[in-house]
Amino acid sequence: MQMSNKVKVIPCSGIGKVFGLVAREATLKTVLELCPEKSETVCLAYIVTGDEEVKERMSGSVCITVDGCPKMCASKNVSLSGGVVVDEVKVLDTVRDHKGKNFGSATELSDDGYLVADEIAARIEKRIHEIL
Amino acid sequence: MAVLKVGILSCSGEECLGGTISRLATRKVLEEMTMVDTVTLCLPLYNAGGTEERNFASAFPTISVDGCDKLCAKRSTEKYSGRINGSIDVSKIIGNENALNTRIIRNIDLEEEHYQMVDEVAVEIVKAIGTLDPDSFSGKTFRGCGCGG
Repeated sequence: MQMSNKVKVIPCSGIGKVFGLVAREATLKTVLELCPEKSETVCLAYIVTGDEEVKERMSGSVCITVDGCPKMCASKNVSLSGGVVVDEVKVLDTVRDHKGKNFGSATELSDDGYLVADEIAARIEKRIHEIL
Repeated sequence: MAVLKVGILSCSGEECLGGTISRLATRKVLEEMTMVDTVTLCLPLYNAGGTEERNFASAFPTISVDGCDKLCAKRSTEKYSGRINGSIDVSKIIGNENALNTRIIRNIDLEEEHYQMVDEVAVEIVKAIGTLDPDSFSGKTFRGCGCGG
């Protein structure tokens, strides 16, 4: 298997609250739009399976995780799979700067929700350029 | 009287459209189905959470919703939590080519045809709930999920 040297950006995609969707949209903006040459994502659900194939893909790879709640599911699962977490992005850290806003729901972000996702994506992009 | 509940677990896969459709169809059923109470759990909590999260499938009759034929939600639930009562493979409903689309994944990029796919998958989830034995519906409480509602 050919190993990718792209930075892996992996969100929790939490399905119960809006911050999981913010993590997901920020990650997808980064890997699809801002840094497609230097970054990629891996399905967190696939990582959770513990399949040998995904462990091989993750082992030793440079990862940035994006978590929507303090349970830090993305960070913990990536570490368990052998990925090297160089940065743990916490959505709540950015949300604190936007008090009182309505970010949408776990189904669809509002304009303010996308604003926060874009802000997080820009920070991840900067970090990726520092790494590679 | 205890409220009867069904668990729905989505892969929410980030690498392809199938994951997005699985997530949105699951959300649609959670928000709109009124005949039966539904509950979900963030799949990665099986590893990041505790015993309570791993009890999910024994607490609720559970239906998995997977975006592709890797069936990560189904297999992880069976590995960590318990028996699955129903399984939806989104790629069988919307076709492999659509499910494995790696360009259109973000909600913001979805068009009308993709929301029709969400509706089709939501209908299949409801049908799967309809096949459950009424005696298997759970009235148990579950407090293990910080993010999964």
